[in-house]
Parts: sequence; structure tokens; C-alpha cells
Amino acid sequence: MKKLITLEINGEQHELALEPSETLLQVLRDELGLVGAKRGCDSGGCGCCTVQVDGQAVYSCMQFAHALQGRTVKTIEGMSQNGELDPLQAAFIEEGAVQCGYCTCGMIMTADEFLATETEPDDQQIRHAIAGNLCRCTGYQKIVTAIKTASARR
Amino acid sequence: MSLTSVTGYFTPEDNEEVLGLLQKYGDGAMIVAGGSFVHGLDARDLLNGIEVLIDIRRLGLDKVTADSEGLDVGATVTFSELQKISEIRDSAAFGAVRDALNYPPTQIRNVATVGGNIAAACPYFDLPTALAAVGAIVKVQGRGGPREIGLQDFFAGLFENNLEDSEFVSGLYLPLPPPRSASAFIKFETNANDLAIVNVAVGVTLDESRVCQEARVVVGGGVAETPVRASSSESLMQSEELSDELMRQAGEAVQSDLQPMSDHRASAEYRTAIAKVLTERALQRAVARIQL
Repeated sequence: MKKLITLEINGEQHELALEPSETLLQVLRDELGLVGAKRGCDSGGCGCCTVQVDGQAVYSCMQFAHALQGRTVKTIEGMSQNGELDPLQAAFIEEGAVQCGYCTCGMIMTADEFLATETEPDDQQIRHAIAGNLCRCTGYQKIVTAIKTASARR
Repeated sequence: MSLTSVTGYFTPEDNEEVLGLLQKYGDGAMIVAGGSFVHGLDARDLLNGIEVLIDIRRLGLDKVTADSEGLDVGATVTFSELQKISEIRDSAAFGAVRDALNYPPTQIRNVATVGGNIAAACPYFDLPTALAAVGAIVKVQGRGGPREIGLQDFFAGLFENNLEDSEFVSGLYLPLPPPRSASAFIKFETNANDLAIVNVAVGVTLDESRVCQEARVVVGGGVAETPVRASSSESLMQSEELSDELMRQAGEAVQSDLQPMSDHRASAEYRTAIAKVLTERALQRAVARIQL
């Protein structure tokens, strides 16, 4: 049975009638048209669907929407401020850390939480931090470089 | 993840409400917390007949309290939260728990709970192996009140635990071992997001002259339906000086304690060979953590 759930998404309040089986990923993509988070493996193995709930990176394909009553969600669409890209987004473009782009939004949301506490990470720490996000194009090096570049600017 | 058979998601506020829901829905109910293994159960066809999910994260079981005897960990404490507790982060005694918590990716550590990781009774998980090596006790809540079960006795088999109907895991107790104790855990996996092919946890207590007072060797990650105590490896070390050579022999001895599963992920022979190596390495790591 549908239940009314209140969620803050990228600073906006939403009141949504949702089925108990619905996941946060379905809500974002199908109800709200926020298609930055991707549906990859749909089972918590690839990281394309990563968003933040109360500042913590999570696989949105595994989050039951009914469990999120009153929580705060941030997606890639909430990263830029006043039309300016976040330094992480800008660094991904500058360093060419994108090929097909399918993993990018998840990578950035994971890196965003990581850089909130690690100000000068080394390569190994960055690789450990993004271990839950698969990229099948880049070989990761440019992604690691982009996150390092962004860390110096935040 | 599409769980179309699920028609209700409850977020009860107290034990009574949980027990009432368990009684009402019986086998059609499943307790959840972080929800990070629900898809794993679904993929194995273990959600057949589940109509309602009961999320116990509003019961206040998200706290860790330490006293001189040990550490009391609520069932819904997440991996990330437990990692930040100083008794886990800094102690040699609970080193195996610290090691095991560091393997899953951030997105899992932020939601997966210690209670859920135990209750799922999944043979490939890491934390149960580590917790068995530190002698963890499972705390259970039910109609008849609370009770405690040793972790080893909690597991009944493949995805089966020994909870009665209308019982749920409310937390864990980690008893603090004597001085000069340490533990360590190592997982063997094919990639960062994979379940274990083999994992090993050891816990040792030494005296001032490096003589082993107690040794626990636990092998999990798919070697059997539940984590296995390697008793011949343990008894080899008992009351002996824990030299490099003895740790090597303890690794060798593990092989006779195992009858691993063969599956699409690894053969029994491969798992046995890996367990031998990991045991020796875990022992070396644990002993290095002890300041004599």
C-alpha cells in the first residue's frame, strides 16, 4: 500500500506517495526525473546509483523509500551551486576523467563524502574510497587524478 | 531491486511493536535494518513468501557502550559507526573486527549493520568470522524476554540462524580478553566489492614470554555453511611459544580442519590452500599487535 513520505532532495521538500517496495533510485529516476543516478547492476555492486543520504554515500538501489522519511538526500543534480560546477565536477572535466560517463555521477557523490573528511588524500586512500564504484572505461587513473585535483581546491 | 511481493514496510518504535508484527505476519515478515543484503537474499530466492519488512532502526539499538568487561554493540550500529569507536579503532584485542569492517566499500559500510550481518547467516560474510575469533555473544529479544547465544551456536546452517519464531537480534557483546591479547582478520577476494572466497580470523593471548595461553582460529567465507573453528590448529599452539615456525605449522594444520565447499567461485582444494596461507599471515599480524 502506498504511504506518504516526506523527503528533502537537493534542498527541496518533496511529499511523495510511495509503494513499500520502491527504492530511492526508482523515486529519483521515475518519480522526479533526476536521472543522474544510474541503474547499473541494481544490486549494490557497481556504484552508478550512488547518492548521499544525510551526507553519507549510499547505493540508492538498495534504499527502501519508506525508510527515508524525513531524511535529506543529495544527488549529482544538487552539486552545482548558482550555476557554478562544484570543484569536483570541474576537475572531472579538466582531467578527462569521463569516457562513457555512466559511472561518473556515482564516482562524484562518493568522492564528495570522502573529501569532506580527507583534505589531502594520497592515491591509495582515493582508490580505497572509490572501491565501491566500478568504471569499465578509464582504468581509474584519471578519476583518481581528478579527485586529487579537487581535493586541493576545496 | 524489485520486490513486488512486499506489501508493507514497517518502522516500529519499540520492542513490543516489533514482536506484535512478528506474531501477526509470522513467516511472511522479515526484520531489516540497512537493507544491504535484501537483494542478495532475493537473488538466492530466499524472499519467497515475504510480504512485510520490519525496519528496526528506530528502536534505539544504534549505540555502543564500553565498560571494563567489554563492549556492548547495538544491532543497528552500522559498520562506519563501529569503525569510529575507539575500542575498535585502537585496540589489539578487537583488531580482527577492525580489519573486517574495512573491506566493504563506503556505500555498504554506511548502511550495513552488525546485527543484520550476523542475522543473515550468510557463509560468505566477513564480520561473523572476525566476531567468532573474539568470542562475541549475540543478544536476542523475544516474547520471553532477552537472552544471549554464543555466536558459534547462533548459526544453524546456510542462511539459517537459531532464532525462535518472534525473536530478533538486538545486539552483540564483545568480552574484553586478558592483557597481551590480539586478533586479526584477512579476507581473500577477487575484487573490492566481492564476497570472500576464504576469510580467516585469529585471536591469541600470550604470556610475557610469548607462550600461547589461548588461540582461536576461525575460517569462513565459504569454506562451510557457517564459520569453522580450526581446532587442530588451535591445539597445536596451546601452551607453546608462538614462533614463526609454529605459526607456519598452525597454517598447515588448518587444512585438516576444513572440508570446504566447491562452487562457481572456487574449488574446495583452492579454498583449503588459501586458508593455510591466510592463517599464517593472520597469526603474524595478530602477534605483531601484542606488546609483550
